[in-house]
Amino acid sequence: MPHQCIECGRTFPDGSKEMLSGCPDCGGNKFQFKPGGVTESPDPEATPASETATGSEPAPDFDSSSDVDSERSSPDPASPVDTSDSLDSPDGTDAPGPVDRRPERAVSSGTADPDTTDPVEGDAERIDDEEAEDTAQASARSDVVTPDELDRATREAGDPAIEAPANGSESAEPPGSQPGVDELRDELNEQFESIKIVSPGQYELNLMELYDRQEYIISLQEDGRYVIEMPDAWGVTDE
Amino acid sequence: MGLLTSLRDSISRVTDGLFAADEPKRIGIYGPPNAGKTTLANRIARDWTGDAVGPESHIPHETRRARRKENVEIERNGRKVTIDIVDTPGVTTKVDYKEFLDHDMEKEDAVRRSREATEGVAEAMHWLREDVDGVIYVLDSTTDPFTQVNTMLIGIIESQDLPALILANKTDLPGSDVQQIANAFPQHETIPLSALEGENMDEVYTKIAEYFG
Repeated sequence: MPHQCIECGRTFPDGSKEMLSGCPDCGGNKFQFKPGGVTESPDPEATPASETATGSEPAPDFDSSSDVDSERSSPDPASPVDTSDSLDSPDGTDAPGPVDRRPERAVSSGTADPDTTDPVEGDAERIDDEEAEDTAQASARSDVVTPDELDRATREAGDPAIEAPANGSESAEPPGSQPGVDELRDELNEQFESIKIVSPGQYELNLMELYDRQEYIISLQEDGRYVIEMPDAWGVTDE
Repeated sequence: MGLLTSLRDSISRVTDGLFAADEPKRIGIYGPPNAGKTTLANRIARDWTGDAVGPESHIPHETRRARRKENVEIERNGRKVTIDIVDTPGVTTKVDYKEFLDHDMEKEDAVRRSREATEGVAEAMHWLREDVDGVIYVLDSTTDPFTQVNTMLIGIIESQDLPALILANKTDLPGSDVQQIANAFPQHETIPLSALEGENMDEVYTKIAEYFG
């Protein structure tokens, strides 16, 4: 019973879809993560806080999260296939995971069955553990991560990435962790809008985004819509 | 695969060469708002074609659509260089209608101008990506050149390997500091000028012929 509604106390099994639209009993949308075997802590943030504060034992953190998916035959970090290219070490996946795979986890945890999604679930719940529960749950229902969240997660991601080499098991950590942060920055930039409408008549522009895009914005509408010109070779070239 | 790639490159080089011989280079005039881009474009166009490119104004974002003047023939030292001049909207990271209210503009007009200016920046960035063969980067020499926009645009221009001429405009104004611009972009040659007064245009044309000919 890794998830518990903090309103009414109802618990949900790993991978449960029920809580994705709120607690069926009380409608609450805040849940705390209770990994099996771990005694409950009154303050849901106490555990992650102590972990990040000590900063010296990333391995137990990893283990505690992976014991959820202990039936997995191999702790292959490449299980989340679509992101393994950007995060290539087991411990490395640990750190930046909270940021750049959140939408994918949200989809997976909501659609697949617990057995097959254990690795993903493990990650998702670790997020749950590290951050406020409502953040994780909110992200499960929405597909956009706010820049603020990303920024916070980026900062958090830096710590485990530094801790990991201290563990001494993986020699490739330092080079692995730096690209991870860079990837996160890229991810962050990608999620910025090219033109942000602050209010009518007030705009913020992401020049790199405007420059990088093949299509370009011809006309902004009053209601926030915009007209773009599609590139001539759309779908024909390498795009 | 390698063979195909090299073959394609060879063909590309040949066709590029053919076009280079026939078609004028398209030179984008870039820079932040109110640097004097349109004034310069008009100066060049008037000097060599007799026509203007677009209206000039002291209100920022007067140019909100890229304007092109084609087939501008510039003669320098017996050489004739033909270029298309593209006067682009000023590039910025923020557009706020409130800045137009100071210029006796109604809010509705200011909001519309702001929206058009934003579209203009998008267009300018698109041109930079797709459609220019060289860049004249115009800076107001009375203002600090160390800005995010300048650094980013110069960086993009360099990454594209586009020939770039940096002009320190408004040397007729008292606070003009050409050296500050030269210091900001030491990897490029900085040419001082006053597009408004026509000062030092001879050197500008010489450099245009040299860089884009």
